[in-house]
Amino acid sequence: MTTVLSTLGNLRAVLVTGKGGVGKTTVTASIARMLAASGRRVLCGETAVDDQTTSPLGAALGVEGKVGEDPTPAGPNLDVVILQATRGHRAFLRDALKVNLLADAALRSAAIRRFLMAAPSFPEMGMLYRVLELVRLRLSDGSPRYHTVVLDLPATGHALALAQIPSSLLRILPGGPIVEAVKEGLGLIMDPAQTGSVVVTLPETLPVSEALELADGIRKHQLPLAAVVANRVPYDPFSAAEKASVLGHVKSAGPTLGVRSLERIERSRAALARLAEARGDVPMFVVHDSWAEGAALPAELAVSLAGGVP
Amino acid sequence: MTERPSDHLRLRTQPSFLEPLVANKRVVVCCGAGGVGKTTTSAALGLAGALAGRRVLVLTIDPARRLAEAMGIPETSRAPARIDPERLARAGADGAGELHAWMLNPAVVFEGMVRRLTTDEARVQQILDNRLYKHISGMVAGMQEYTAAEALYTLYESGAYDLIVLDTPPSRNALEFLEAPRKLSAFLDERIINVFLPKKGGILKAASGLIENVFTRIFGPGFYGELQGFLDAFSGMFGSMRAHSEAVRTLLTSEEATFVLVTSPEPSALVEANFFQAKIEALGVPFAGYVLNRSWAYTRGYASPELIEMGDAPSPELASGMAKLRQLAVEERRRADRDRKLLTGLKSRTASGHALATPHLGGAIEDLAGLVDLARNLVQTEELPPSSRPPPSVR
Ligand SMILES: Nc1ncnc2c1ncn2[C@@H]1O[C@H](COP(=O)(O)OP(=O)(O)OP(=O)(O)O)[C@@H](O)[C@H]1O
Ligand SMILES: Nc1ncnc2c1ncn2[C@@H]1O[C@H](COP(=O)(O)OP(=O)(O)OP(=O)(O)O)[C@@H](O)[C@H]1O
Ligand SMILES: [Mg+2]
Ligand SMILES: [Mg+2]
Repeated sequence: MTTVLSTLGNLRAVLVTGKGGVGKTTVTASIARMLAASGRRVLCGETAVDDQTTSPLGAALGVEGKVGEDPTPAGPNLDVVILQATRGHRAFLRDALKVNLLADAALRSAAIRRFLMAAPSFPEMGMLYRVLELVRLRLSDGSPRYHTVVLDLPATGHALALAQIPSSLLRILPGGPIVEAVKEGLGLIMDPAQTGSVVVTLPETLPVSEALELADGIRKHQLPLAAVVANRVPYDPFSAAEKASVLGHVKSAGPTLGVRSLERIERSRAALARLAEARGDVPMFVVHDSWAEGAALPAELAVSLAGGVP
Repeated sequence: MTERPSDHLRLRTQPSFLEPLVANKRVVVCCGAGGVGKTTTSAALGLAGALAGRRVLVLTIDPARRLAEAMGIPETSRAPARIDPERLARAGADGAGELHAWMLNPAVVFEGMVRRLTTDEARVQQILDNRLYKHISGMVAGMQEYTAAEALYTLYESGAYDLIVLDTPPSRNALEFLEAPRKLSAFLDERIINVFLPKKGGILKAASGLIENVFTRIFGPGFYGELQGFLDAFSGMFGSMRAHSEAVRTLLTSEEATFVLVTSPEPSALVEANFFQAKIEALGVPFAGYVLNRSWAYTRGYASPELIEMGDAPSPELASGMAKLRQLAVEERRRADRDRKLLTGLKSRTASGHALATPHLGGAIEDLAGLVDLARNLVQTEELPPSSRPPPSVR
């Protein structure tokens, strides 16, 4: 049996991606909770947005205090962090320049800071370096501080932006230590033994088409695709015979309450079938639509993710 | 458990606040969180404008491929294209004005801007030939927002359209182009640019020295000089770009424009909507109201399954199936209640009291006819009778 734990549990980094509003944050929090409950030390991270004052991921994990650029506890075995590209830039500059004073002076320069944030791929590169830094953290006994880092990637700069770093950076830059740094980061995220992307989608026609395009893009860029998650799948209590006779019967009554939900169930079935057919041997996990809200939602979903699919 | 008509009579007996907007405004901007339906709503508002007889342009950003297909928008095109009137007629939007659409192409807009703002042909070539230019729209933070504003303004000034509906990208920075020109983008800031440019003395010289040192050590030799050359060629445009962004701002804060905030009933989308409303108000642009998209608020005209006769001897499948349908109906009412409450909440959040819900159209949204339905839903007082759609069927 393939479980979420067997699929993602041994990875060092899990990249959760998908279109806007499909449930990336919810799924990230649920996976992180589930892995933490199974005994893995987990760090859950989200990428910073400009003038960000709240942390959606922190809220999904029920963290009451402020979530910042250093890991904060979010439960047993579970920390949460906001990933700042500038942190990665600093680590990178220190490594590359080998003179901390020069690196710090460089980062005090508004021009350099802004250049690093504005130039193509540089924010992603900073993010990648920061992830690398967090993945490499060790406890005093030498074991990893975090077994797995689960990342909630933004809808706009999804996983593909990470995968495009080499091509877009190398087109612009002739060489230098930055090329080495990028290669090292990519060594992590392109290695299927260490990293996996998870594409989240809603079980509707258009979102599934978009998710399949995204999955193709991920494969094309040689990022390992670990799983697809169909989120907000409605329960289907009907047998095929019941469905047929109900729909036949209510037709003459005109629009009827409940029928739109029944149609949604049917679309969801069709969408899941398409997804199942196109995913190849990539495992697919189904997450049900729930009435829970806030931190209760990932807590509930984490329990159902602990089960498996045949 | 039966429907009380008075429950939803309130919903649509008031005229839609969007109707006068699509009939009279010159610019409607749709903004909101990721995935709430900005692009879909923009397309539907554009259709509504065309149905009102106007010449409309929908400027969309990165639409889902299927939506582009449904509307017949070419995916890569250098200019707006008119939607085939035949196609509109087939979708039930006959007698309409004109509907044009363009999937914004930042590179094309940007090149047009370089040509317009740079009079010296040699300099135009110098910019366009620079290796870094090819990356400029990604390179300058906020450039996508700026190109949207630039395209909007140029197309508005062309006078070719009565109404332009602008779709925005799923980013909190989507309204960035409206902020003080100084904040337009990090790169347009001359104080920053100047540090990179040659021939400077004093403090700037020290800063330039540091930057050159760092850049050369990190990016290898040669890159710094190339960057300088590019920014030098480009810097003459910054003044005009700033002036232009002022003009865009003037247009968008005028009576001719209005902003519509799209949200969906999900808690996270509503939180984001709060953020956008605060931003719209802080920017001082006209805020028309909310569209609560993909909602289940309307149950008007829907029969309760409890009231449907099953005859004397229903088959076992029908009896058990109908029991399950009644259960789904209970959930639909629960959703409807939730969404009506949300709608009331949204109304009380706006000074105008304007918010309306558009239905979750399910699979129907995937073709142009579905968009036409949505367009009518946005501007008509009465909800479309659902019977105008083909009867539901199991695929
Ligand atoms: N399985 C589910 N059942 C019920 N509600 C859900 C489920 N998954 C997500 N939601 C709700 O859907 C909304 C969007 O989810 P979420 O914020 O996780 O999406 P996202 O992909 O991270 O969005 P964004 O692109 O804006 O970051 C939230 O309000 C969340 O509570
Ligand atoms: N009223 C509706 N009924 C049913 N489905 C809808 C409705 N409105 C939008 N959708 C669907 O929701 C999804 C998101 O819609 P859309 O692409 O318009 O959102 P968006 O806000 O532009 O997204 P993005 O932030 O990614 O640009 C699409 O699959 C679309 O078909
Ligand atoms: Mg999110
Ligand atoms: Mg969109």
